[in-house]
Amino acid sequence: MSNWIPLWLHKLSSPPTFYRFAGVLRPWALALALVFGVIGLYGGLVLAPPDYQQGDAYRIIFIHVPCAWMSMFIYAIMGVSAFVALVWRIKLAEVVAMQSAPIGAAFTFITLVTGSLWGKPMWGTWWTWDARLTSELVLLFLYLGVIGLYQAFEDRRQGARAAGFLAIIGVINVPIVHFSVDWWNTLHQGSTVNIFGPSKISWDMLWPLLAMTLATKFYYAASLFLRAQTDLLSMESGKDWVRRIAASEVDQ
Amino acid sequence: MTRPGLTAACGAMLRRDLTLAWRRRSDIAMPVLYALIVTMLFPFALGPEDALLQRIAGGVILVTVLLAMLLALDAMFSSDIDDGSLEQLVLVPQPLAVMLAMKILAHWLTTALPLIVITPLLAAMLHLPASVIPVLLLALLLCTPLLSLFGAILVALTAGTRRSGMLLALMLLPLCVPALIFAAGAVAAAQQGLSWIAPISWLAATLVLTLVLAPLACAVALRIALDS
Repeated sequence: MSNWIPLWLHKLSSPPTFYRFAGVLRPWALALALVFGVIGLYGGLVLAPPDYQQGDAYRIIFIHVPCAWMSMFIYAIMGVSAFVALVWRIKLAEVVAMQSAPIGAAFTFITLVTGSLWGKPMWGTWWTWDARLTSELVLLFLYLGVIGLYQAFEDRRQGARAAGFLAIIGVINVPIVHFSVDWWNTLHQGSTVNIFGPSKISWDMLWPLLAMTLATKFYYAASLFLRAQTDLLSMESGKDWVRRIAASEVDQ
Repeated sequence: MTRPGLTAACGAMLRRDLTLAWRRRSDIAMPVLYALIVTMLFPFALGPEDALLQRIAGGVILVTVLLAMLLALDAMFSSDIDDGSLEQLVLVPQPLAVMLAMKILAHWLTTALPLIVITPLLAAMLHLPASVIPVLLLALLLCTPLLSLFGAILVALTAGTRRSGMLLALMLLPLCVPALIFAAGAVAAAQQGLSWIAPISWLAATLVLTLVLAPLACAVALRIALDS
């Protein structure tokens, strides 16, 4: 009775099943991302009170912080699925790892841009060689390295395995980079939102932030589903199930 | 059929790579010349004031050595891939990681060691105080093997691709940030007359860890890249 979860997971890892699964969930994820995004942005930009020191400029955190969380979250997802792909050679895990990379790189880029937009009025400079900023920049280069290595291979699965291995090396390296840069130089403020223990942020500002976090998570899911579907179609282009999908698309 | 022991195999591997490098001596000279020329360009670009050059000397030398090693890295496995001997190496009964460690050692001896040997000359060109040079040499001795080891993993990963030096730079340079920070930290501390033991110890600790793990990772990477 209790083994339906592993069974379901095994089924899910087959490309046609995942293709249908992603197709069903994608509109829902996108809708939830939009709903939470609108709520979060309205709450953050209109309802939340201005900060007593930073005035309205702090409102960029409603974009900046969720994107920064996503940049690390997606890297973790990429690392885990790359590990799964290397150990069990599951094709779908390779697809998830490689299709996560561009989304993660985009979130990292948004984090850097919004951070420097905020830094100009607050710190008086677009860029400073601070630990968090530098680690985020290194993270962007790691993402770009993974994407570049994946693209460099003729054979897609081999490229996914090689780039996945690079992603795993990066997982080990990111904490070392962060720690070493921290030791070197730091200016960025510490964390104000804690999962464990009380957060140092007012509830009026916290709930839009959490709504935006959910919005980015759902957006990632929707985007990943779409990318994975496309990738699966082109990867399996000779197979029967893709032919059937193509035929049904033509009929409509 | 008897097979040679691990030590004999390691010795043979090392001898082969060093002999091959020695037959193409001009390749060994290239990174050295590159480092000399890059170091020469800095005073032209920044002006020849002693104080300025002294201040940037440590960092400039470290970055120059890093870039010179990056240039030479591509050649680590390329001739072996071209003539197929890398596939033979994967098939030998001895552990691949140990064999690769020997290849990395040979590569370090032929590219990094000449760079370290000319470092006092580079330091003199940038007026680095003589008292700092031993610390710089120590930092380079610990930091260049790290680069060789990290580089070996990435070169192994790209072994099956259309060759691309820029891609290698994009992948390697972010990974080198900690090594560069600690090496430059040691040199800067020595220059200000502070204790430089802490960053050197960190470098040494990282090197020990990498020395154990990197050949294993390199073996995995090579298997992935050649598996087609």
